[in-house]
Amino acid sequence: MNRPYGALAEFKSAAEIFHACEKVRDAQYRRWDAHTPFPVHGLDRAMGLPRSKLPIFVCIAGLTGVAAGMTMQWWMSAVDYRVIIAAKPFFSWQAFIPVTFEVMILFSAACAVFGMLFINRLPQWHHSLLKSERFRRASDDRFFICIEAQDAKFDPEQTVQFLKGLGAASVELVEE
Amino acid sequence: MVAQAHPEPLDRRVPLVDPPATIQQITESVAAPMEWKAPLGWWLFLAGSLSCLGIWLGSVGYLFWTGTGVWGVNNPVGWGFDIVNFVWWVGIGHAGTLISAVLFLFRQKWRTSINRFSEAMTLFAVVCALSFPTIHIGRAWLLYWVMPIPNQMAVWPNFRSPLLWDVFAVSVYGSVSALFWFVGLIPDLATMRDRATKKWQQLFYGVLALGWRSSHRHWQHYEVAYLLLAGLATPLVLSVHSVVSFDFAVSQIPGWHTTIFPPYFVAGAIFSGFGMVMTLMIIARSIFKLEHLVTRHHIENMAKVTLLTGSLVGYAYAMEFFVAWYSGNPYERFTFINRMFGPYWWAYWSMIFCNVVVPQALWFQSVRRNLGVLFVISILVNVGMWFERYVIVLTLARDTLPSSWGSYSPTIFDFSTYLGTFGIFFTFFTLFVRFLPMVAIAEVKAVLPEANPHHDDGHHAAHGGH
Amino acid sequence: MSAPRTIPADVLTSISANSRWQRFPLIFGVVGVVCLAAAFGLSASTVERFHFSYLVAYMYGLSLALGALFFVIVQFLTKAGWSVVVRRVAENMMGTLPLFAILFVPVAIGLHHTHHHWWHLVPGKDPILDAKAPYLNPTFFFARAILYLVIWTLLSQAFLRRSVAQDQSGNPEETRRQQWMAPPALGLYALTVTFAAVDWMKSLDPHWFSTIWGVYYFAGSVVALFAMLSLLVLWLQRDGFIRKIVNQEHYHDLGKLLFGFVIFWSYIAFSQYFLIWYANLPEETIWYAHRSHGGWESMGLMLVIGHFAIPFFFLLPRAMKRNPVTLAAGAGWLLWVHYLDLYYLIMPVHSTGGPQPSIVDLLTLFGVVACFLAAFAFLAKRSALVPVKDPRLAESLAFENL
Repeated sequence: MNRPYGALAEFKSAAEIFHACEKVRDAQYRRWDAHTPFPVHGLDRAMGLPRSKLPIFVCIAGLTGVAAGMTMQWWMSAVDYRVIIAAKPFFSWQAFIPVTFEVMILFSAACAVFGMLFINRLPQWHHSLLKSERFRRASDDRFFICIEAQDAKFDPEQTVQFLKGLGAASVELVEE
Repeated sequence: MVAQAHPEPLDRRVPLVDPPATIQQITESVAAPMEWKAPLGWWLFLAGSLSCLGIWLGSVGYLFWTGTGVWGVNNPVGWGFDIVNFVWWVGIGHAGTLISAVLFLFRQKWRTSINRFSEAMTLFAVVCALSFPTIHIGRAWLLYWVMPIPNQMAVWPNFRSPLLWDVFAVSVYGSVSALFWFVGLIPDLATMRDRATKKWQQLFYGVLALGWRSSHRHWQHYEVAYLLLAGLATPLVLSVHSVVSFDFAVSQIPGWHTTIFPPYFVAGAIFSGFGMVMTLMIIARSIFKLEHLVTRHHIENMAKVTLLTGSLVGYAYAMEFFVAWYSGNPYERFTFINRMFGPYWWAYWSMIFCNVVVPQALWFQSVRRNLGVLFVISILVNVGMWFERYVIVLTLARDTLPSSWGSYSPTIFDFSTYLGTFGIFFTFFTLFVRFLPMVAIAEVKAVLPEANPHHDDGHHAAHGGH
Repeated sequence: MSAPRTIPADVLTSISANSRWQRFPLIFGVVGVVCLAAAFGLSASTVERFHFSYLVAYMYGLSLALGALFFVIVQFLTKAGWSVVVRRVAENMMGTLPLFAILFVPVAIGLHHTHHHWWHLVPGKDPILDAKAPYLNPTFFFARAILYLVIWTLLSQAFLRRSVAQDQSGNPEETRRQQWMAPPALGLYALTVTFAAVDWMKSLDPHWFSTIWGVYYFAGSVVALFAMLSLLVLWLQRDGFIRKIVNQEHYHDLGKLLFGFVIFWSYIAFSQYFLIWYANLPEETIWYAHRSHGGWESMGLMLVIGHFAIPFFFLLPRAMKRNPVTLAAGAGWLLWVHYLDLYYLIMPVHSTGGPQPSIVDLLTLFGVVACFLAAFAFLAKRSALVPVKDPRLAESLAFENL
C-alpha cells in the first residue's frame, strides 16, 4: 500500500488504554493520539498533555463583552440620542448592568465553543482514520491509539510490534 | 416522615445504570428509537402536534391581520395571557440548564441520563416563550426595533426598560443553550454517523458531527469548553429569570415591587421545569425502553429537587405575605387580601393548592417512587405555576386607584395561541426523539464504573453513581 | 495515582496532648472577655455606641456559626462525599451556637438603645409603627429571640452529637438519621434565620422593609462560613493535624464554593439595591439614602469592589483555589469585608452623619470572635477532627477534582 497514515491499535477497556498511553508517552512518541468513546479520566496526564489554554481566551472574551455591552449602552443612551426616561440619569449604569451581563456571557460562551472548535481544527469532515472500518467502534465501545507515520520514531514494523506488546486486541496500518 | 423503605447503602453510590449494561449496550439502547421503524404512535403524535402548530399559525395569522384587540388585554390589565405564557415557558426551560450546567458543577452524575432530553426541552420552551414578545407588540414586522441597530426612526432601544433586558437575556439564553446542547451532541452525532446505514443518515449525522473522531487531544479541550459553558450557563440561567422578574419588580405596583422577586422567580422556574421534565420523562423512558438508563433513582432525585424548589417558592410566598403586613402599607396589605378573597380568588387558591399543598406529598418516599402519582403531581406543579403568573398579572385589575379598577377575560384567541405553542413544542419534541439521541450516550458511558481506568484497583467506594 | 482509602497511620486526627490547641479555650476565652469588657469600659459615656458595636460583632460571629449549620445540613441533605474530611471542623463551628445564646445577653440588654425607634412605642404617634406593633413589641420580640436560639441549639447539637457518636460506634444509622433530619432542619433553619435577621437588623429601621432581607444575611453568612472553614482547616494543618487527608482537591472545592457564594451574595445585594433604586419610592430608598452621604457611600463602594470585584477575580483562577496560601489570603480578606458588610447594615442607624470607626468596634469584634474560637477549640479537643468512621470517608479521601 502507499505510505500509511499511521498504526492503529485497538483496546477493550479504559484501564487498558490508560496504561498503554503511559507507555507510549514514556517511549517518547510525539505524533500520536488516543481515541475513546468518552473522555477517560486522567488520560491527559497519561499522555503527557499540557493544560488547555482555552480558559484564558474565554476570560478575555468575557471582559471584552463587559466593555462592549457597557460602551454600547453608554453611547446609545448618554451620547448619541439622549432620551429622558423616568428622570433616570442618561448614563444609568445600574440599569445597564443586565444587558452588559448578558453580552458578557454571550461573548464568553461563543469564544468557548468556537475557540474549542478552532483549537481542535473542527469541522474536519475528511480524515484518514474515518476510513477505517474498525475505527468506527471508537465512538461506540473500543479504545484506540494511533501513532502517526509522521512521527520521527515511527517504523511500520517496529511500531506495530510495540503496540502489540501493549496488549492491543488488534493493530492495523491505516492508509493515508 | 416515613422511614425509607429502600435504604441506600452509605459507603457506595446507587448504580446509575440499573440493571447494569455494557458500554455497547448503552449505545444500542439510545440508538434504537432512531433506528427502528417509526411506530404508528409516533406518526399520530406528530400529526397531533402539527395540528396544534396549525392552530398557532391560524391564531397568530388572525392576530397580525386584525390586531391585539382579539386578545382580552385592556386597560388596566394591559398584560394578560401573553406575558403569563411567556414567563411560563421561559421558566420551564430553566430546568434543562439547571440539569446540564448546575448539576454538572456539583458533580451530580445522575444528570447524565436526563440532560440531553431536558436541554432539548429548554430550547423548545425558549422558542415558545420568545414567540410571545414577538407577536404581542402589535406591529410584529417592526420587531427589529428592539435590536441595537440603526433604524428609520433613528432611535436606539430603551436600555432602561426591563422589557428590553428580556430581549437580550432570553436571546442570549436561547443561543447559549443551543450552543451548549450542540456541543454535547457532537460526540453522540459521531456515534450515529458511525452506525448509519442509509445515505441520508450518513449525510445528516456526518455533517453535524463535524468530523469528530473521538481524539483525546480533542476531548481535552472539549471537556474544558464544557466546564466553561456550565460555569457560564449557571449565572446565565439565574440572570434570565431574574431579568424576567424585573419586568414586574422594577415597577411601583404593590404585589409586584418586592425585592425577593429575582431569586423567587428563579426557584419557581426550576420548580416548574422539573415538573415538565418529569411529565415528559416518565412517559418517554417507558415508550423508548430507557428505564435502565433513567432509573427510579433518577426520577426520585428529580422529585426531591421539585420538593426543594417548591419549598423555596413557599418560603417566598410567606415572606411576601409577612412583609406586606409588616410594611404597614395599606395598598400592599390590600393586594394580598384581594388575591385571596377578591374576584380572582379561585386562581389564587388553585396556585396555593398546586404549588404548596400538592408537593408536600413528595416528602414520602413511596410517593417519590410511584410514577403514576408523580406524573399527576408534575402536571399540577405546572398548572400551579401558570396560576402563579396569572395571579401576579391580575394584580393590575386592582391596583392603587379604585377608579382605575377593571377586570380581565381571556378570549378564545388567548387560549388558542397558548394551545398552539404546545404545537410548536411537541412538534420539535417529536422530531427530536426520532432523529437525535435523547440520552447523552458518551456522558452516560463516562459515569459507568468501568469508565474509570483505575476501576480494577479496587476503587469501588470512591466512584460510581450519584 | 491511588489515593488512600483509609487514614494513614501517621496523620494526626485529634488534638494531641502537647498541642497549643489545648490551651486555646482558656486563652481565647480570656482574650474575648477582656476585649468585651474593655469595649464596654471605653464607651462608658456612650453606652449606645457600645451596643451598636456589639450588635455588629454579634451578628458577625453568629453568621459564622449559622453558616456552619447550613453547611452541615446540606452535606447530609445531598449525601455529599467530598466534604467528609472537613465536615467535623464545620460541625465544631456550628456547635458554638449555645455560646451565642449566652452572647445574646448584651444584645438583649442594649435593645432599647439599638432598636430605639420602636422599643418604647407611644401609641398614636406613628401610624406605621402602630400597624406593626403586634409584631414589633418587646414581649413578642424576646419570645421569638428565645425561640430562634433554642431551635439553633437543638439543631446544632442534634447533628453534632450523632456525628461524634459515630466516631466510637461506627454505626451507619447515625448517618441515616442525620440524612432524615436534614430536610425539616433546613426548613426550620430558613425560617429562623430569616426572622432573626428581620428582628435583630431590619427592625433597626422599622419603617423600612425588604422581602429579600433574610436571604441577604444568609448569603453573607455562607460566604463567611466557607472563608472561616478554609482558614480553620488550614490552621489545623499548619499545627500538624489532618495533613495529607485534606489536600488540594478539598481546598479547590472550598475555594469554588467560596467563589460561588461571593457571586450569590453579590446577586442578592444587587437585586435589593437595584429594585429599590429603579422604583425610586421614598419609603424604600430612605434606607440607601442614609447610606449615601457622609462617608457611608464610600463604604458602599468599598463593598462593591471588596466584597465582589476583588474576590471574583482573585478566586477565579484554578491555581488560586488549590494553593493553601492564596486560598487563605482570599478567605481572610472575605472575612474582613463580611464584617464591613454588617457594619454597613447596622451602624448607619447610629452614626447617621458618617462612619466613625473607633477602637470599640475592633474590641467588640475581637471579643466575639475570640469567644467563638474559644468555644470552637473546646469542641475540637473533645472529639476527633475528622469523622473517623463516617461511611463516606473513603470517598472523601480519594476524591479528585476535574
